Amino acid sequence: MNRGPSRRIVLASVLLAPGIRLIGGIAGLSLAGPAHAAPARYTLDAARSLVRFETSFGPDIITGDMPVKAADLTLDFANVANCRVLVRLDVAHARASFPFAAQAMKGPKVLDSTGYPEILFKSTMVRRNGDGARVSGDMTIKGVTRPVTLDAAFYRQKGTAAGDLNHLSIRLTGLVRRSDYGAIGWSDMVSDEVRLDILARIDRAE
Amino acid sequence: MAAPAPTFSLLTRVLHWLMAAGILGTFALGAYVARMEVGLSNLWLFGLHKTIGISLLALAMIRLLWHRLRPPPGPLPGPPEWQMALARLTHKALYLLMFAVPLSGWAYASATGLDVLIFNRFVLPPIAPVSELWEARLLLLHRTLTWTLLALVALHVAGALKRGLISRDGTLARMIRG
Repeated sequence: MNRGPSRRIVLASVLLAPGIRLIGGIAGLSLAGPAHAAPARYTLDAARSLVRFETSFGPDIITGDMPVKAADLTLDFANVANCRVLVRLDVAHARASFPFAAQAMKGPKVLDSTGYPEILFKSTMVRRNGDGARVSGDMTIKGVTRPVTLDAAFYRQKGTAAGDLNHLSIRLTGLVRRSDYGAIGWSDMVSDEVRLDILARIDRAE
Repeated sequence: MAAPAPTFSLLTRVLHWLMAAGILGTFALGAYVARMEVGLSNLWLFGLHKTIGISLLALAMIRLLWHRLRPPPGPLPGPPEWQMALARLTHKALYLLMFAVPLSGWAYASATGLDVLIFNRFVLPPIAPVSELWEARLLLLHRTLTWTLLALVALHVAGALKRGLISRDGTLARMIRG
């Protein structure tokens, strides 16, 4: 699953890529047919997925991304409450928009990638939210677990037919506060709030 | 060691004034970067402060080596002994701090866990453990030593001006013209 940082793709190019279309929300997905009515396991295409983050740095923005180490996904578009998501992120291979930011982020004052090489997200509740979903869960950063909520939007991938749930793209957005996890280094320079923008490309397991 | 020369050599004077400008300049820069709102546009100033500081450390080493090869002249007689003793003590402390201030800055930067990058190219090896406690203590040490250096520079300048403008005994002139 983890194919290393060199295989990562740029979020913007993915979102602008032709062929990605917002599918008809969860309500629309639920009409896909009985084949997809039950919970289904999905595998994450880690090389084509991206966990992107950004935070304020004085008057500027630091951006970066973090590879997905592993993901365990069970989705039920007929009954979203049955959805289960577990994602492990690879802190050691995180990147940032300039070298000092990456070093500071992975160092002991922020994420401490040596002591805590993973960030873990485990969903606790998924509920419908308009055309998308709201995913509540526990985020473990630097050994500290706190509840977070992410907004999810679903897209079908390039070249797939309407209603085809075998290959999907999910965009998850939300924010975490560094101080909730004790990752408070350089708080005089770098904002406490870190915005997350995740693009997950998933394939239905056979 | 060679016998002291009667005058300050050109290299001695160049090193003296270059380091004087560097010490005052990097102090002003250090005070500025410690208070500025840090962003992408001014991040390079941290590197400049470190680059000048480490350059001053190298110049201090060159200066001591040069003084071994060509010892500078002793002080001109005239002032009372307590002033001569104070001048000797001030000079020794200035030389000590010319090493201690940049070394404490290097150690502080090492304790932050970030690369100590100079000339935007070379990464210096860390000389202190990465720890917030060490970071806080070394920053305090760097600041304290810096202000002590500044106070001694002020005392040194006051003594030089007194001998140059009031006593007019040639002490200041020989550091300018040799």
